[in-house]
Amino acid sequence: MKPNSTEKKERRLGYLFILPAVIYMLIFIGYPIVYNWIISFQDVTATTLASSARDFVGFENYKAIFADGTFRKSLSHTFIYTVGCLVIQFSLGFLFAMFFSKKFTVSKPIRGFIVISWMLPVTVTALVFKFMLGESSGIINTILINLHIIKEPIGWLLKGNTAMWGLIIANSWVGIPFNMLLLTTGLNNIPSDVYEAASIDGANAFQKFRKITLPLLKPTIMSVLILGFVLTFKVFDLVYVMTAGGPVDATEVLSTYSYKLSFQLFKFGQGSAVANVLFVCLFIVALIYLKTISKDEVM
Amino acid sequence: MKKKVALLTILAMTVGSLTACGGSDAADAGASTDAAAESTETTDEAADSTDETASADAEGKTTISFWHYMSEDKEGKFVNEAVDEFNKSQDEIFVEAQYLPREELMKQYTIGVVSGELPDVGMVDNPDHNSYASMGVFEDITDLYENSDDQNFLEGSIGSCYYEDKLYGVPWGNNCLGLFYNKTLLDEAGIAVPTTWSELEAACEKLTTDSCKGLAISAIGNEEGTFQYMPWLLSAGGSVEELGSDASKESMTYLYGLIEKGYISKECVNWTQADAEKQFASGQAAMMINGPWQFSGLEADAPDLSYGVARMPKADNGEYASILGGENLGICTGANVDAAWKFITWITSKEKSQEICKSIGRFSPRADVDTAEMFAGDELNSVFAEIMPDAQSRGPSPDWPEISAAIYTAQQEVFTGQKDVDTAMNDAQATVDALK
Repeated sequence: MKPNSTEKKERRLGYLFILPAVIYMLIFIGYPIVYNWIISFQDVTATTLASSARDFVGFENYKAIFADGTFRKSLSHTFIYTVGCLVIQFSLGFLFAMFFSKKFTVSKPIRGFIVISWMLPVTVTALVFKFMLGESSGIINTILINLHIIKEPIGWLLKGNTAMWGLIIANSWVGIPFNMLLLTTGLNNIPSDVYEAASIDGANAFQKFRKITLPLLKPTIMSVLILGFVLTFKVFDLVYVMTAGGPVDATEVLSTYSYKLSFQLFKFGQGSAVANVLFVCLFIVALIYLKTISKDEVM
Repeated sequence: MKKKVALLTILAMTVGSLTACGGSDAADAGASTDAAAESTETTDEAADSTDETASADAEGKTTISFWHYMSEDKEGKFVNEAVDEFNKSQDEIFVEAQYLPREELMKQYTIGVVSGELPDVGMVDNPDHNSYASMGVFEDITDLYENSDDQNFLEGSIGSCYYEDKLYGVPWGNNCLGLFYNKTLLDEAGIAVPTTWSELEAACEKLTTDSCKGLAISAIGNEEGTFQYMPWLLSAGGSVEELGSDASKESMTYLYGLIEKGYISKECVNWTQADAEKQFASGQAAMMINGPWQFSGLEADAPDLSYGVARMPKADNGEYASILGGENLGICTGANVDAAWKFITWITSKEKSQEICKSIGRFSPRADVDTAEMFAGDELNSVFAEIMPDAQSRGPSPDWPEISAAIYTAQQEVFTGQKDVDTAMNDAQATVDALK
């Protein structure tokens, strides 16, 4: 009986300690989410925004956005963009991480240098890439033409399919160092005696990579991918500055479309509905992540 | 337990993403207020440098805020000067002027309606005035205006301030579009200033080289794109109500032709009007469509550029057309109405309106300001003064943002080759019809 009550006491004290954090989360994170869900079920337009008595319209806003071609496009664009970025960022980031975890003289300064691109404000990156991808005066076209890879300048951000590539390239430039940093840390945490033992047993480099590096790095890889997914999926500033979702709606993603619906077309209900779809997508990814790490913990 | 912690972390992560970019939640308001606060700082600094005693004067006075989007480095300084003058001219009211970029300001109005954080006096782009009035951003000032002894505004200008027969503001300044041409380049090519569409096309053909386009326009996917397209539409005899008509389609076909032939850069779909000005100023375009507010920018970017302005060329079987742009001032909901009204009547009075509009490249929206006299001897502005009476307004309609979206989307679809003219314009017409 006695130990039980101390445990209870301690637990209560524990709750007391996290109370400030919980209150903070409820007010600053919980409230906006709940508010956003509420208006996504209401008829909120320019005329009803200020009035307190807005009509509840059930799933009308969701029906409207799923019937809307631009929304469906922006949903698929968001996935294309995210997967495209993840593949490039992760594979190149991994290569860099492997390379720079070898301890040669300048590995650290160069690694630091590469991280600069990750530290730049996204708006700056977006503007720089917008200029570099310009049709007539952009440096990328100039280089490609002088190397005789292309004959005519490409209007990178002027055509739907190339505009998406432009965004993916710009974002990967930021994402590669981010992936590299996390993966290098993971690699450094693998004890070197495991590799030594493997060498004694006669394992070659490829076997070491497959049987030691990958399994031991798995938790890091999972968190890098999930973090990368979340950060990429919710992209706003990069797209907004580089193309603003254009040309027409070729690079419209969920966040920019939500912004457009709310603040340019004043369809606040639908804008919130789009934001909630974004939320649900990310929440599912987060649950998948939880599943995988809880499996690892059992091990 | 570890699992729960992880769950919380993940929740915070996803949630953070939502609030950072989400549609219209309160966190957004927080972020934007930060931005607003930053601009306040910069405005304050600017104000400090011009006048240090002004802030001391604020004590004991009623302070009201005035938000505008006259950019700091260009028109904004004249606005600050006028505000300082007002602050010194009387000892009851102190006006705090604050600059916010246009898009940011418009977002602030939307957020302010819910959060209650609105300025006392706010500037708004005239085609948007109806939407914001319907949203409840502005106070109904019909009685104040009708009981005042100064009602000398041009009908078209004050018209954009009415929503459902009630007045929600007064006009601040007008502008319109015209054709800017590089005198040197036109002289070298030996061509006269084009007055019709065929002449314009012929001129473009001669002027376009590898490093220089014939004409620069803005066809960006926002209000600016619509604004720039309107004169072409109107000159061909088209209209917003009948975007699917042959005349409307003709204007789009003509413009797309200029792009296809390489006379206008394909990049115009990403250009703002300020970008078009940069092209013209740097000699990468021989002509551009733009307005009088660019004079100060051109002076700064290319002081040696020899250029002239003219009416926008008209359709071969059409009339000259231009489009009315400009800003209105409104008293925001919950503001100190009396103080705000005093300030507004002062700054839009005949004398002040004439003075400020002249400095910021606008035309006074007042009927009692003689524009010809105001710009006597000013070759460039006189041309725009002649164009002004023909300039037609957009809307007014609370649905204007959606109508405008239909127009600029059609334009972007055609210019990027996603849809042909017929399909794009018919679709745009369908969108506009659906709003009725």
